[in-house]
Amino acid sequence: MENWDNLITVEQMEEATNSLLETAAKLNADTWQQRVKNQTPHCKFGEEGTCCRICTMGPCRITPKAPRGICGCDVHGIVARNYLRFTAGGAATHSDHGRSICHTLYNAKEGGSYQVKDPEKLKRIAKEWGIETEGKDIYDLAHETAEVALMEYGKPFGFSRWTARAPQHTQDLWNKAGIMPRGIDREVSQSLHMTHMGCSSLPEALVQQSLRAGLCDGWGGSMCGTEFSDVLFGTPKPLDTEANIGVMEKDNVNIVVHGHDPSLSEMIVFYANDPEMIAYAKEQGAKGITISGVCCTANEVAMRHGIPMAGNFLQQENVVLTGACEAIVVDVQCIFPALGPLSKCFHTKFITTSPIARMPDAEYIEFSDETAAEKAKKIVKLAIENFKNRKPELVNIPQLKTKARVGYSVEAIKKELDGVCNSHVDDFGTLKPLADVVKSGVLRGAVAMVGCNNPKVRPDTAHIGLMKKLLENDIILVVTGCSAQAAAKAGLMDPDAAKYCGEGLKRVCKLVGIPPVLHMGSCVDISRMMILASDLAKDWGCNISELPLCGCAPEWMSEKAVSIGNYVVATGIQTFLGVDPYTKGSDVVTNLLQGENGMVQNMVEAHFTVDTNIDSLCDKMINCIEDKRKALGI
Amino acid sequence: MVGLFDRVFKGSDEMFAKAEESVNKAVADLGADAPMTLPDTAYYLACIYCYLGIKIQTLGELKAALPAVKAMMTREYKTKDIFTSGVGTAIAAEIIEACKYAYTSTPYEGTKYHGHFSDAEVRTLGVPLVTRDIPGFVVMIGPAPSADEAVDMIKGYQARGIFVFLIGGIIDQLESKGIQMNYDVRCVPVGPDIWAVGHIISLVVRATKIFGNVEFGDYDGYNQYTFDRIFAFVNAYAPVDDITVACGAGAIQMGFPVITNDTKDMWRVPKSLIINENTKDWIETSLEARDIKIKVSEVKIPVTYGNAFDGEIIRKADMQIEVDGSRVDCCEFCKTVELSEIEDHKIEVIGKDFDEFDVGAKICLTITAEVNGKDWQTDFEPVVERKFHHFINCAEGIMHTGQRDMIRIRISKGAFDAGFRAKHLGEILYAKIKEEYDAVVDKCQIKIYTTEEGCKQVREEANVTFAKRDERLKSVTDESVPNFYTCILCQAFSPSHVCIVTPERLGLCGAVSWFDAKATHQLDPNGPCQVVTKDNCLDDRLGRYTDVDEAVNQYSHGALEHVTLYSIMEDPMTSCGCFECICGIEPMSNGVVITNREHAGMTPLGMTFSEMASMTGGGVQTPGFMGHGKQFIASKKFIAAEGGMGRIVWLPKALKDQLADRINATAKDLYGIDNFADMIADETITTDVEGLMAFLTEKNHPVLGMEPMM
Repeated sequence: MENWDNLITVEQMEEATNSLLETAAKLNADTWQQRVKNQTPHCKFGEEGTCCRICTMGPCRITPKAPRGICGCDVHGIVARNYLRFTAGGAATHSDHGRSICHTLYNAKEGGSYQVKDPEKLKRIAKEWGIETEGKDIYDLAHETAEVALMEYGKPFGFSRWTARAPQHTQDLWNKAGIMPRGIDREVSQSLHMTHMGCSSLPEALVQQSLRAGLCDGWGGSMCGTEFSDVLFGTPKPLDTEANIGVMEKDNVNIVVHGHDPSLSEMIVFYANDPEMIAYAKEQGAKGITISGVCCTANEVAMRHGIPMAGNFLQQENVVLTGACEAIVVDVQCIFPALGPLSKCFHTKFITTSPIARMPDAEYIEFSDETAAEKAKKIVKLAIENFKNRKPELVNIPQLKTKARVGYSVEAIKKELDGVCNSHVDDFGTLKPLADVVKSGVLRGAVAMVGCNNPKVRPDTAHIGLMKKLLENDIILVVTGCSAQAAAKAGLMDPDAAKYCGEGLKRVCKLVGIPPVLHMGSCVDISRMMILASDLAKDWGCNISELPLCGCAPEWMSEKAVSIGNYVVATGIQTFLGVDPYTKGSDVVTNLLQGENGMVQNMVEAHFTVDTNIDSLCDKMINCIEDKRKALGI
Repeated sequence: MVGLFDRVFKGSDEMFAKAEESVNKAVADLGADAPMTLPDTAYYLACIYCYLGIKIQTLGELKAALPAVKAMMTREYKTKDIFTSGVGTAIAAEIIEACKYAYTSTPYEGTKYHGHFSDAEVRTLGVPLVTRDIPGFVVMIGPAPSADEAVDMIKGYQARGIFVFLIGGIIDQLESKGIQMNYDVRCVPVGPDIWAVGHIISLVVRATKIFGNVEFGDYDGYNQYTFDRIFAFVNAYAPVDDITVACGAGAIQMGFPVITNDTKDMWRVPKSLIINENTKDWIETSLEARDIKIKVSEVKIPVTYGNAFDGEIIRKADMQIEVDGSRVDCCEFCKTVELSEIEDHKIEVIGKDFDEFDVGAKICLTITAEVNGKDWQTDFEPVVERKFHHFINCAEGIMHTGQRDMIRIRISKGAFDAGFRAKHLGEILYAKIKEEYDAVVDKCQIKIYTTEEGCKQVREEANVTFAKRDERLKSVTDESVPNFYTCILCQAFSPSHVCIVTPERLGLCGAVSWFDAKATHQLDPNGPCQVVTKDNCLDDRLGRYTDVDEAVNQYSHGALEHVTLYSIMEDPMTSCGCFECICGIEPMSNGVVITNREHAGMTPLGMTFSEMASMTGGGVQTPGFMGHGKQFIASKKFIAAEGGMGRIVWLPKALKDQLADRINATAKDLYGIDNFADMIADETITTDVEGLMAFLTEKNHPVLGMEPMM
């Protein structure tokens, strides 16, 4: 086995970060590294989920001496309520992002800022939903479909349409367990309602609703976000790009896009490629314009346009610290309010664009479907004009970058697999080649690795360390979000990285022409993974929970991640977490979620495993995969 | 269901146990010190040597190597384990077969089986692999569902040029149907048992060593090369036992997919292990699995057409009719004619057709291809004409030898009965000329004479042209042309080798002359033959040019920096491995010894062709050794820097006889010596140094008066 250290290591990335932190120190700029120190140690009640502040009788904190809150709720009720609220926050966030995409689709028009780039996918979804497509103008169909999708949010009766994509067995489990998601907003509202003072304190009921709220995200709002983003901006196909901080270009105007909603970044990318703008940039003394991305917005534009990825969640401050960032333009979610004050230490313009994410010390240019083109152009211009304000003595772009092949939507994965089909014996357009290669043992299984960074884990070490060990063991990875960017930054999405993998995976990568870690998109795109698991189970002829497959979020931090965890587990995929979800305070809740014979396991045939020791977390995943293989007799 | 991994593990254990048993028995019978060699190879037991880097020369060494093979058979249930176990199984197979050769060098004599392949056989694959005349190899294992189906499969593969290796029952099936099986028809009955696969893998790894120069013991290097460059695959008929499954795992590690119709305990692996129960569909399934695209020639004749028939022999008893240039007026001729006089695809037969002659008749016949085009040059005539042999020979049941007015064409009874007539010779030439030379041949018509007076006239006319061409050829020298050409056709197999082709130094494979290179460049300006200017000569004695250095540097991707055209000692030209001849210095006499691929015997260097050839190849520069084409021997530029062909002290007799006239003419020009060929020793005179020195002294060979080479 060749040495992984030929690729970019975490140590090299840390060295780059340290050189940027020197600039911060010189300027007395505040960074998360410092703030983590200020906030440590963290509140123990908060960490264990045993603090209740949902009414003003408290806050109540559970201790052995004070085992119940003022209302009489025990620790299990409190922990479970907090857990459900956390989930609801995540589900609301993803789903509202999805809603915004539906609105954009509703506003799409011929020749407009937003158009239908994948009409075939639109027709496919419309047919799935029983919407007549024959003889219909594509924009009429777009508006009609968007409206049906928007109605999913508040539908008074029935269940999420997307759930029909799941295998029958999975749907049966959901129905039986009473967790089949209904209207998207309803599940969020009900979650808040259930956790109001004086409502649910029964942990089983609260955890059950957590699963349903999660499902309304993964099989509801997030799926809207993913599917209609594809319709609007194109379904991702494999393309080559680059990753890590070195993608920023010293002599160019650097615009960094950050956040989650592709509607903004798509337009910025469009105008940054406008010859008029490039000429303007040259006029202002730059050689050109470089757009790079941070966080999931980076994933969206990387997947569709090959825009390079400068970094993931915990590198958002780094791009400003290079002193070469003319503008950091943000939409929603995971944006540090710290960027405002930090950008003031440099010439960088911190531009917020969404009424959802308003922050101090920012320039606010509100973005809407109607004014998108005009505003995007304005933002690009602003960045160009800011180039001359750079302080050359502060410019430091660490020269770290690596190749990455991204763009593996489910459609693209099937297309790639068609490449290894034999027209004399195989069906095209299926996941059967993947099923066969796992059944035979050439690949042992797959891990879907997702999630954020979290200062509680040395940034990216868990993502990258786990991935390398899994790859050596012939386990293929599908990834999204900041996990995907960690992989990209470390060179694991370069098809050449296959040579460091186990022989089976190495061969598969070579034959199919893929990197060993497949980038499936942003965190909303974990819905793609649900489709992948469903289709694989159907093509395999087994249940999702029987597949040698697991989910993993080793460095997660947000409410969205908890929502995701709930729907991934509820879909039947064993899920491994490297950070505790604030439930340690209740053994009952912990057992409901994590017990091998707990309620969640009995409802959906999968459960959570939490282990903050990354090595043992990895061993547990490998064992999980091998156990599932044994159970299948393969 | 039994898992795939368990089957591979069980099968490799079985093969290893058998290997161990064979070695123990041979040691017991013959002793540990008994020599363990395979005939006509410089690579010992090639699988062990190549994969593990261990040279085996005695049975004791073979026994000592067994633990290293066993160590490959790891059992951790990862793909790596089945891969190394699979290759280990192939090595064990080689060991089982090798033990047979410990007892006698000809264990398969008197059987229908081929057994071990000689290095010369491996090397003959070089050119056809490069030109894609052999687009791939199939290893067929077991009996087919029926003998008729076996025949159909073989014919199908042969028609596509696929080289066929056979193991087991299918050989008996084909034999029962009277199918010709031998190396020349590219359909080889290797052996009756699955361990015969060891011979095939031995051939594969030697090809990798010879053409790719992968280091001995570089396990990954061998697998990488075979995966990327050797287009082989396996057809295994049901029932496929564990031991065959284990061999299959080795094949898959090497990059060779396995196609089977067995479904019991069989596991599909895309592009690697393919189950297709419709065995009649296997050819296309297999080609698709290995990404082999066949250029299908649309030749409208009533017999099968394919490269596999290039080596087919038609015996007298099977012969319907024979065109015999040694007795009557015959010739083949490519002639430039005014475009307006050519009616494209017109084929005329003047005289009696084949069905008007008696069975077994020896007839006169001439074939003239009249061609022209706006980019056509008369210099291309001989280039195209020399391909007639290959074009005609690829028709099933037709055998062609010779060229110009010394041709022999045999039409088999089978071909005749299938309806093959004189005009079909024309159809073949027309189709192939238009296919291969479409960039320069706009129009082509064929005239075939079978009348005595017609043949006589055509032959006379052609001979005038042949004489003119020879004159022109003589006037074309390295000095008289404005540029040389590269030839990197071989780079598909030998990635760092570059030939520099000059008028007086043809490509080492013997297949690419300067005119060929020129035509190739014309046909495909971005192709393998690129112009090398010769403006900056640094040393005309050595043939050292800045431009040549730059070209080899560029086209070898930096692997080579300097190459001289005329020296064997200073930066000699590299070899791809498919050279016709190998030349090496003989220190006692200060001369050089040359031997060729066809000559299996010993030379005064104490080395055979294979052993000498193994000194170079794969794009490596080895001063004192050089691969080259046969025709280069009589060139005035042959090791001109070291004094020229006067250095040649030994040649195989057949080669010497073949070149004697030209050798004598060149020696006369260079040194004023008559009958120089007679001063060169051969195997009928001596194969040792003492004998050689005595002979040279007796003949007063000019080398004795030359400066030392080292």
